[in-house]
Amino acid sequence: MQESRRSYTDTQTIVFTVILSFICAFILSALASALSVPKEEAKELDRSRQMLQSAQIYNSLGYFQIEKNDTYIPAKLVPDGQLVEGTKDDHPSSQDILTVYRNRIVPILVDDAGNVTSFEKAKINYIDYLRNNKKQGYANLPLKLAYKILPNVPEKEINEDLLPIGYIIPVSGFGLWDAIYGYLAIAPDGDTVIGVAWYDQKETPGLGANIAEQDWQSQFPGKKILQADSSGITDFLKSSIGLTVVRGKVADVVGREPKALSSLDGMAGATLTGNGVTKAYKDSLTPYRNFFKKLHDQNKK
Amino acid sequence: MTQENVPLKRYLTDQLLNSNQVLVAVLGICSALGVTNRLKVAVTMGLSVTFVTGFSSFFVSLLRKITPDSVRMITQLAIISLFVIVIDQFLQAYFLDISKVMSVFVGLIITNCIVMGRAEGMAKNVPPLPAFFDGIGAGLGYALVLCIIGFIRELFGFGEIFGMRVIPLSWYASPQNPDGYQNFGLMVMAPAAFFIIGILIAVVNAYKARQKK
Repeated sequence: MQESRRSYTDTQTIVFTVILSFICAFILSALASALSVPKEEAKELDRSRQMLQSAQIYNSLGYFQIEKNDTYIPAKLVPDGQLVEGTKDDHPSSQDILTVYRNRIVPILVDDAGNVTSFEKAKINYIDYLRNNKKQGYANLPLKLAYKILPNVPEKEINEDLLPIGYIIPVSGFGLWDAIYGYLAIAPDGDTVIGVAWYDQKETPGLGANIAEQDWQSQFPGKKILQADSSGITDFLKSSIGLTVVRGKVADVVGREPKALSSLDGMAGATLTGNGVTKAYKDSLTPYRNFFKKLHDQNKK
Repeated sequence: MTQENVPLKRYLTDQLLNSNQVLVAVLGICSALGVTNRLKVAVTMGLSVTFVTGFSSFFVSLLRKITPDSVRMITQLAIISLFVIVIDQFLQAYFLDISKVMSVFVGLIITNCIVMGRAEGMAKNVPPLPAFFDGIGAGLGYALVLCIIGFIRELFGFGEIFGMRVIPLSWYASPQNPDGYQNFGLMVMAPAAFFIIGILIAVVNAYKARQKK
């Protein structure tokens, strides 16, 4: 039955294992270095896409979109860097997505008092800043990360003074299994949600992982990050900040109270992920309170 | 076990149907529960496992005459891990979306009993080419079962196939139409795969029993 095998001395066995290990290690390191660039690119593309998605500039079905008469319609990129009306079949290339990302999304820094400065003025390298602070989150740093969303204009008209059409706040926390990372885009009134995204999560596929699905995320636009009190008044200094994922449907749990505007339908079978998401929004958004208030005050004028 | 005169094709088809690793040997159940609630993920997982079993069997067989017996298992494991990491890196670089959904299950192919089972049960006894076909067959057999489970679970759990809507939304229960259709919640959860696998095994056994008569 068994084919005859040579018998080996201990030394030969050790030599065999060492050689085998070296060959495997060599192949793997060659592969890792060969794939490191595409891997990094894939990650950056995914992050950019998720951020554009939270800002409602990109649809999860794979096309750009622009706002027209209060609804979003499919759009495509034209050579001058602007998005114009298109169809759902205009699937942009990776390069297009990165171009739009670079044109429309600009990182900014926000201090505790809510003042905005740019990375250039603060003399901070954006890439180093991202790398050094991802683990602890950006919300509790003296200079917090945010992004401004620029309006849809041709590339050459983009400048410092362009009035943003919204802001994106990075959100992080802990889900059921591991850390979760996402974005929340808010309108210039500092209160209304434009959209959300979760770009890095390891929740249970089919249950908690639904936080990354369009179906669940589609309830976010129009929600308020500041919870109004029972008479419907929002106080930017005192109202609690965050979005609460309830157990079950908002309509059943909260009813028609003003609080419903800051509550979200839970996912069946994913209560703990929902709790994690609620906490992530609360913890990540609260440090930006003065920033939201400033936005709100500026917008009123 | 030296099947010298068996045509190569038999190695493939035998694993695919007659001695299907999931349904007959009842191996690889863990991942069959974990990655089958969406068909797209099930297909990727099936193909990944096929790649790993195929190539690891090939190389285990290639080294079978110079592998010292005392480190035989560890050698197989090293070869298997090598191919699993290759697949994992490849998915991360070119199919990040799918890689995110599969998360830990790609890494867990290393511990998938099917891969080691084929290396230990077949590849170490036969020449590289039959071993390769045997591995590919085992992987495809696993993929086939995964696809059947994934199809049933996605259809009844989400009303979709490959992420495309199959059961129209208008059939669903709503406040206006409380008696409408609802997704089968159990199908989304891992235990559903248990039931489906159980039924599939029963069907295969019944079929085989009838053939024997």
